[in-house]
Amino acid sequence: MELAFAIGLIALKVAVLIAALLLLPLPLVWLERKIAGHIQQRMGPMRVGWHGLLQPLADGIKLLTKEDHIPADADRLIFKLAPILAMLPPFVVFVAIPFGESISVLGHEITLYVSDMNVALLFVFAVLGIEVYGVIFGGWASNSKYSVLGGLRTCAQMISYEIPMGFAVIGVVMLAQSMSLLDIVRAQADMWNVVYQPVGFFVFFVAGLAEAQRIPFDLAEAEGDLGAGFHTEYSGIRFIFFMVSEYVVMVLVSVLTVILFFGGWNGVLIPLPPILWFFLKVAFFIYVFMWFRFTFPRYRYDQLMEIGWKVLLPLSLANIMITGVVFL
Amino acid sequence: MTDVANKRQGWIGWAFFSDLGDALVLTFSYMLSRPVTEQYPDKEKWLPYSRYRGHHFLKRNEEGEINCVACELCAKICPCDCITVVPYEDENGARHPKVFDIDTARCLFCGLCEDACPADAIALGQQYEFSSYNSANLVVDRDTLLTMPGKAETGGGVVNARLETVDGVRVETAQDAGYNWWRNIRRK
Repeated sequence: MELAFAIGLIALKVAVLIAALLLLPLPLVWLERKIAGHIQQRMGPMRVGWHGLLQPLADGIKLLTKEDHIPADADRLIFKLAPILAMLPPFVVFVAIPFGESISVLGHEITLYVSDMNVALLFVFAVLGIEVYGVIFGGWASNSKYSVLGGLRTCAQMISYEIPMGFAVIGVVMLAQSMSLLDIVRAQADMWNVVYQPVGFFVFFVAGLAEAQRIPFDLAEAEGDLGAGFHTEYSGIRFIFFMVSEYVVMVLVSVLTVILFFGGWNGVLIPLPPILWFFLKVAFFIYVFMWFRFTFPRYRYDQLMEIGWKVLLPLSLANIMITGVVFL
Repeated sequence: MTDVANKRQGWIGWAFFSDLGDALVLTFSYMLSRPVTEQYPDKEKWLPYSRYRGHHFLKRNEEGEINCVACELCAKICPCDCITVVPYEDENGARHPKVFDIDTARCLFCGLCEDACPADAIALGQQYEFSSYNSANLVVDRDTLLTMPGKAETGGGVVNARLETVDGVRVETAQDAGYNWWRNIRRK
């Protein structure tokens, strides 16, 4: 009975998580288009629903009714596999993400995370790394020069940015003395990590922008010079998969930034429910992502590599060293 | 990292990405400013200035007689040859047009017909909503031209309007003066 209840609870949590993450791109797409519009002094979508709220739904229906086209010379198996490979890992990562401590429902203490792994941080980076395969496979299997170039760029970008990203969080791990995301948040109850680790935050956030392939590091898509990059040849439902993946990764990077550097659900000054604090912080970082997107131009390929290897990597290494020296 | 930023804030500005910060502040201020979109035809509509050259109209005198004396000067001066005038004489011996067709599909709205007219009979008004699916519908005859709205004194503003699709598509408005669209434009 006890076991059945525990398994049922986990299944319920996973179901809620998947549903929430699948539906999340709808409001985010709307928000992104609205922010884009207002930054350019336009209105954004206005005609479908109140202030265009149903616009993403209309877009989704449009995409679903499009022909699902596979190029004649494409590698069909890998072409079909790529969108799934791109979408799955960000979802899997959320298994290890805590949204709060616990709430009591009907006398039961229900934890606000699916699992509290002691190596959660490692798990997150390991699984998130797999997402790159989706992009590379998609670029390669399409058998189109734009797609291959997009995939190629992603490959180089990911290698140069996952390393500083991994190094940047080592400082946080040193402060919390743990790799569990729960412990990391608990260690920030008095003071957020961003105060002790401003350089670590900077490196992590810039690398996170690159990881989520957002402007100014969206070289893989680069609609200006590569058509649409790795998903040039994708249409219909498979294109939706890539879009969902992009937005879930964006949310994931925001969530990780909040957990690692901004105290997770620990609030300041205003006593709000912890879960609300958490979502407010995440929403702020999602906004920052979109704000960046419509402010900055795209970096050139060689500039991107230069920033990754010549700026971020030394910075993150120096950060580890200084943290270590201070700690000793 | 531009030279401008370097000159202004020196290396400290460079190290803390002051130029990127300036860009973010600029886009944020733009986000909070009013959109310049004119929501035509859903909510708003532009009333042109009275100098605007829109759809032609024919004028009548005080007795309700048509001003036009069918001299055909407008047809002569028209650079795209879109005016057809066929004259007739009424019982008093006055010349008037029997036919006065303007092919608005060919018209370039230069206003030369208005300038050439010796009898102050034809002018270009502020009406600009007369699109059609069929170019034959764009040939306007004398009686329609007589009923077209004349020049209004007011104009040059955005007014509240409503899109009417029940019987024919029209953008209706009850106001005759609106706000100046340029007030929302930021000029530094």
